[in-house]
Formats: sequence, structure tokens, C-alpha cells
Amino acid sequence: MRILMVSPYPPQRDGIANYTAQSVAALMREGHEVVVLSPQPSAAHQHLDFMAGPRSWAAMSRRVRGFDKLVIQWHPAFFYRNSSISDRSAIDLAMAGVFKLVPQVEIWVHEYEYAEVEASAIRRRAATLAFSQVDRIVFHSESERDMFLEAVPVDRSRTALSQHGHAFLPRTSMTREQARESLGITPEAFTFLCIGFIQRHKGFDRAVRAFARLGDSPQARLDVVGSTRLEEPEFLAYLNELEWLTGGDPRTTLHAGYVSDELFDRWILASDVVVLPYREIWSSGVLERAALFDRPVIATRVGGLEEQAAHRRVTFVDDDLALAQAMADAAGLLLDPEDVGTLGGELDELPWAELQQAVVRRAAALRGGELRSRTSPAASTPARRDDDLDRASLLVRRVPPYVTPAPTSTRPGVPAAKRLIQRLTAWQVSPLVSRVDHLQAATANSLALLAEQIRDLRASSDADRTSGAERANDQPVDEAQD
Amino acid sequence: MSGITPDQRTGRLGIVPARFGPKIVGGAEIVLRHIAEGLQGRGWDVEILTTAATDYFAWENDQPVGTALEDGLTVRRFEAVKSTPGTERSVLGHRMLAGDRLSLAEQERWMNDDVRVPDLYHHLLLHANEYRALVFGPYLFWPSYACSQVAPDKSLLWTCLHDEAAAYQDIYKPLLSGVAGLFLQTEPEHELAHAIHPQLAPHAVVGCGVEVPESYDPDHFRQQYGVTGPYVLYAGRREGAKGWDELLTHFGHAVLQRGLDLRLVTMGAGEVRPPAGLEDRVIDVGFLPDADRNDAYAGALAYVQPSRYEAFSRTIMESWLAGRPVVGIAEGGVVRHHVQTSQGGLVYDDAEEFAEALAVLVNHPHLAEQMGSRGREYVMARYQWDIVLDGIEENIIEWTPAPTGALAAPGRTTGRVTGVDS
Repeated sequence: MRILMVSPYPPQRDGIANYTAQSVAALMREGHEVVVLSPQPSAAHQHLDFMAGPRSWAAMSRRVRGFDKLVIQWHPAFFYRNSSISDRSAIDLAMAGVFKLVPQVEIWVHEYEYAEVEASAIRRRAATLAFSQVDRIVFHSESERDMFLEAVPVDRSRTALSQHGHAFLPRTSMTREQARESLGITPEAFTFLCIGFIQRHKGFDRAVRAFARLGDSPQARLDVVGSTRLEEPEFLAYLNELEWLTGGDPRTTLHAGYVSDELFDRWILASDVVVLPYREIWSSGVLERAALFDRPVIATRVGGLEEQAAHRRVTFVDDDLALAQAMADAAGLLLDPEDVGTLGGELDELPWAELQQAVVRRAAALRGGELRSRTSPAASTPARRDDDLDRASLLVRRVPPYVTPAPTSTRPGVPAAKRLIQRLTAWQVSPLVSRVDHLQAATANSLALLAEQIRDLRASSDADRTSGAERANDQPVDEAQD
Repeated sequence: MSGITPDQRTGRLGIVPARFGPKIVGGAEIVLRHIAEGLQGRGWDVEILTTAATDYFAWENDQPVGTALEDGLTVRRFEAVKSTPGTERSVLGHRMLAGDRLSLAEQERWMNDDVRVPDLYHHLLLHANEYRALVFGPYLFWPSYACSQVAPDKSLLWTCLHDEAAAYQDIYKPLLSGVAGLFLQTEPEHELAHAIHPQLAPHAVVGCGVEVPESYDPDHFRQQYGVTGPYVLYAGRREGAKGWDELLTHFGHAVLQRGLDLRLVTMGAGEVRPPAGLEDRVIDVGFLPDADRNDAYAGALAYVQPSRYEAFSRTIMESWLAGRPVVGIAEGGVVRHHVQTSQGGLVYDDAEEFAEALAVLVNHPHLAEQMGSRGREYVMARYQWDIVLDGIEENIIEWTPAPTGALAAPGRTTGRVTGVDS
């Protein structure tokens, strides 16, 4: 059978890309002729930029000819260029036209925008029209299928369930000891791991905050590993927030950077517990890979994770306190007693002033301003105070520089037009960009200057205190008694 | 000679250069060819996995796709695909060179907006298990980057790491930390690898081999190519990344301002573009047969090496074997390391030092002879293929487990393929 597979593909860093490569290998071994088409250039045989909207589906109508089957690995981010209902509906309709041209269409749903589709009758009709042309729609969990059918009412008999990790193979052949050594994890360390794309719905910040509530535990560590899927402001802002949060505790580290499939598996193998503190998700490739290496998992009870987990070693939690408690239990630690007191539902009994303090402190923690347990010895050392001062300007300095968007497009002539527009508007845009850069530098420099002055003041205050104490010690006992 | 026994040479080795052929100009490609031939000669079952393209600039598929026996080696060629205009790669590459921080997405686009080899990727996706080890190289190219990650536990890298902007990009970290082993050629390359990636994959400095010609005939070269008077030689790709433009500038300074009576003979690929006033001083002899190439080295006053980005620099070894000194760029580490260690030449940091170094050699021929002689001793003592292959074999055996079952058949020294299939 000739199959056209549409999906992101290696070497692009993406769990779905990795999943697809393993599926393609399985299909090829079965004797099928498989051609892979990816949204960006990759190891796929073809590529097509779906960000051109309905036009790209016009191109698809030419590409699908001659194939017996079209298989799409579905994630909204691959196919929709913005959140406009009319644009997405137009794309759905264009897709429906393409699906009619192929004898068989199969879609594997990894994520779907249920709420958005349910909220718009137009979008719902367009999506239903598109998916009613599909012969087989595959989900990873029953609840995900139910949600989908509620939003997009198509014939249930055309849907199917597939175990998420059925085609997964380990990508590292290291032993656990080798993996830990290669990642700089000491044998006695207890390592919590959050890994995957860095985006708010993954909730890695929750794990950092929960970890901060663990009592004194020098051997415990939390590693947050991943990169942003897109270099867009909301993703970068979340990355910045994580940098700030993890910078607050020497036991937590953010490894923001490229993670290959091999490195991904190596981290999982090296960890003691994999933490999935997701705010929302339907299925998780990380959970599958953790099972592949027999690593225990702590996960929030969201989406279809509980169904997916089945009998695997997963502890499910429902809120942040339970997350912290599960992490503490896993590492054999106790939660910070103060946290237990203020978070454990005893707020009613607190005097008003303490209640107010608890509220202030919790809010600060949620903002990332006060993360460490107040009993943490690291919090009060002079070195730690200096680090905090340095981080004040770091936050500003780490705002990524403005980068002019690349003038690319699959439509003929558009790159040239974009380049022309860039040239024509450069005289206006460039000074603004320069101005923003200067403001960023000036703000960072001002904060650095302030930090320097605070450091001087602290040094002088510490010196005064020391000399005062020495003077007091030098006084004769009887004089002091007077 | 190696202590490896024949029964240890089990399993097929895939050697994966981006290009393969007798006329390829490119250090890593030539070296991988020698490694393949050497390992096959020692009894390993070797297969070349490469593209159907041989030209570094055009990447046209000028060889048939499929499997064939070429000069005794089984060569499996795959289509090189260049379906993107490369303009974004160029823009991003310039930003990278200027020291800009590229985002991961930009690094990926930079990598994929160039030649890709999807069929090689899929061949490995399906057949990686049929190989004991896959030797990729150099680190910079798409096949090494993308295909070494298909079976990282079998992937070895003939690294060729240079102190260049690309080496510091995040996308290469998994490659250098997660494959089964890294072959490094010099101590400076080893130090650089550690400096860039603190947690390196298993690695070894194995050096690099250089063939020793039986004899040289510099007069034959002069007669054959009409070269008269003293000359310095440059062999390699004529492009900015190799320091060609800078060499032309420095050479112009040496002959036009310093007044040295020299010509610059160059062989290899790429446009020559001599600046005004140097048109008759720069002589392009194109691609040369091996014997003529060796004679060209022997006839030169010195070999000039302007490239900062060298992992080994086999051309300076070839010059030393011919008994001629090297005038090499100091920045970059590897060339300076060789010249300092061997005392087989001089290094320079700018146009004045370049001209001065040449002037010393012009005015003191006996010094040039001494340096050339020391250089030859240096190469003969360190960079012979037998020694290098010993190291490669030992590490293949250490880093990759011997196959079992049907795949464990001992290596074959005869080709398995007699024709071409596509």
C-alpha cells in the first residue's frame, strides 16, 4: 500500500516526530511504501508549510494523488496559523476537500481543541465536515475519544483506541549508572525530573514550587529539562519564569536546550522519579517513556492520563499540596512543617495577623518571589543574598533580543515581497528595535548599579555591626555592667 | 601492529561520509575513505553509506543511486536532497558568525535548510541493527547530525571539531555527548571538545594517517604546469571559511608591499578571484592526480595554511612529508599545535607576520630545509595509518558490542555487490 504520512519528523525535536519515525519504520517493515511529508524540512521525503493556510491544502490536493492512504498525526499547532475561527474553519473545509481525493484517510489525534470547537457552531460544522471524511480516527484514551465525539459528532464506529507507547523503543543503551554519571548526577542524589517542551500547560513551575516545600534535603534535586516549542513571547515568558524559579534554589536546575531522543531517554533512565505536573494534557509520551525504563511517575490527574497509566507505577495527585506530599514521600522526606500548617486546612484557626502573613507569603510563593523554605539554611548566607541581587538584573538581561522574522513562505514571490517590505520599513523599524535594546540594557545596568549600592550598604552595615560587637567585647566587664 | 584478533572483527561497519569518490576534496571525506579501505583490508566487513553527490557546492546527484562496488568497496548511495533555497541558512549563518544567539528553532532551521538525505535516514531507521557500528563525519553535516541519532548506541563520530561558531550551537550537544564514541585527531581538538561539552561521549585521540609517497619530482610538476620561479602552495577549498580571501590579502601584502618574488600556486575547488595586481601571481592548477599533487608540495618554498578551522590539517602533513616547511595561521589551535610541536615551520597572526615568515624562508633556504626535515620526522613518527587504524579498531571493539547470531559472521574482504541496483 502507498501511504502518505503527514507529521513533524526527525531531526526536529518533538515527541510526535519521534513517535512517527517509529511508526513509519513499523509500516515499512510490513512492506508498505511510505512517503513522509513534514511541515518543515526534515528527514521526511517531502515538506509543506501548512502555515500558508487553505492554500497549503490546495498543494496537498496535488501531493495526495496516487496514494492509497493518507495518515495524519494531528496536533492543532501543525495546521492552524492563528486562532481565528473563520481561518480555522476555512482550513477544515479545505482539508475536507483533500480527504475526498484519497481512498483511505486515518488521523491520529494527539491533541485537539475541544473547547474552541464546542464554543463555535461554525467551527463545529466545519470540523465535523472534515472529520466525517476520515475513515479511522485514533485516540490514546477513551475519555479523549468521548470529548472529541462530543465536540465533533462523527460516526463512533470510525474511531479507535491505540495504546500510546505500542511502538516505542528505548533510545539509549546506557546503564542507569552510566546515564547518571554522564549527566553529573551523583550516586547518592535523589533526582526528580520534569522533561518535555517548556510551556505553561505542562506546569513545571508547580513541580519547582512543590519541591521547595520539601524539608532540608541536600541530596534531593529537581532537574527541569526541555526547550520551548516556539520562540514566541508567551513561551519565552514562561521560560523566563522557570529560570527565575529554578534559580532560587541551588537544588533545582533548568536545563533549557536541545534534547535529542537519546538524551531524553538518558534523563529518564537517570532519574529517580519522573514528575508530570501538567495543568492540562490528554496523553503523555513522557509517561510511556518512563514506563519503558521502569521509572516511577508522579502525575496530576488530568485529561486521559489515568486511563493511559493503567497499571503502571504512577502516583496521581489532585492539587499542589498533594504533589508536594507525593514528592516528599517518594524521597523519604517531610514537608516543611510551616507549609503543612498553613496549607493543611487549618487557616480557620489562625489569628488574623498570622492568617494575613500566610496569605502574603503564599502569594509571594506563587509569584516565585519566596520559594525556599524559610528554614532553608541557604537562604540567609551572604553569598545567597548576593546571588539574589545579581538575579534582579538577570531577569531583564534574559529577555531575548528582538529578531526580525525571516522572510520565508512557500508561496512563490512572497519571500521576495517580505524582503522588500523589510527593506522599505527598516528606516522606521530599526530605530525602534535599537531603542528597545537600549532600554533593556539601561534597565539591566540600572538594576546592576542598584545591586552594587545595596551590596556596599550591606557591607558597611555588617562592618558596623562587627565593630560594635567587638567594641562591646573589648569593654571591661565592670564598665559593661555599669 | 594491532593486538586485535580476526575473530574480534565481527559485524558490519557502515562508514558514512557526506560525499565519496576518488576526486573528493575534503579532509574528512578522504580520511573516511582511507579508514574504510584500511579496515576492510584488515578483515572487517565494510560498507560506505553516502550521497549520490560528489560536488560540495552544487550537491547534484551525479552518481547513480543504489549499491555498487567502487574500487573494491561496497558503496550504497542515496539521493542528496536540496529542496530549500538556502537563503535562511545563509542569513542565520551570518548571524551565527557575528556571535548572535540563535534560538533552538533557528538552529534547526539553519540545519535543515541545506542538503538532507532522507533515504539514508530511512535506510538506517530500518537497517541500523544490521551494522555493528556506523562511523559518521564530520560533525557539522546533516547526515552526521540527523542520522547518528537513529541508533546512537552504534554511532561513532569522526568528529573534526573546529573552534567555530557552529560547534557551540545547542543542537550539536546530544551528538557530542550521546553517541557511542568520538574519534578525535589531535590534543587541541580534544581540549576544545571538553571546553565546549563538559560531558563528552566516550572518546579517544587516535590521530590521523597520511600516506607516504615513494618519491617526488618537483621539476616534473613545474614543467607539466608551466610554473616558474619560487612559489608557495595552498591546497583545499577556496572559500571564506577556509581563509582563502584572507590568504589572498596577506599574499598581496607580501609580494606587492614587501616585494617578495613569489607566486601562489593553488589546487582544489572554488573560485580563485585574485585581487587586482595579483592576477599573474596566483596560479590555479585545479584538481591534480596524487603524484602531481605530491610533486607540487615538493617544489614549493613552503605550504601556506590560512584555515583557522582545522581538526587535523592533512595538507600540512603532506607538505612535511615532501620535506617542505609550513607557514600556518596561529589562531585556531590545531595548526599552531602541529607547527610548534614539530618546529616544522612558522606561524603568523597578521599580514606582516605572514610576509616576515615568508621572507625568512626566502632569504634563509637552509632554515626552510631544516624545518621541512623536522616536519617529515614529526609525521613519520606519529601519523601513520597502521597506528591510527590500531586505535580505531580497539575503540570500535570497546565501544560497540559484538553482534550475535546471523549478524556475527566474520568480516568479508570481498565485495558483496557486483553491479548497481537502484
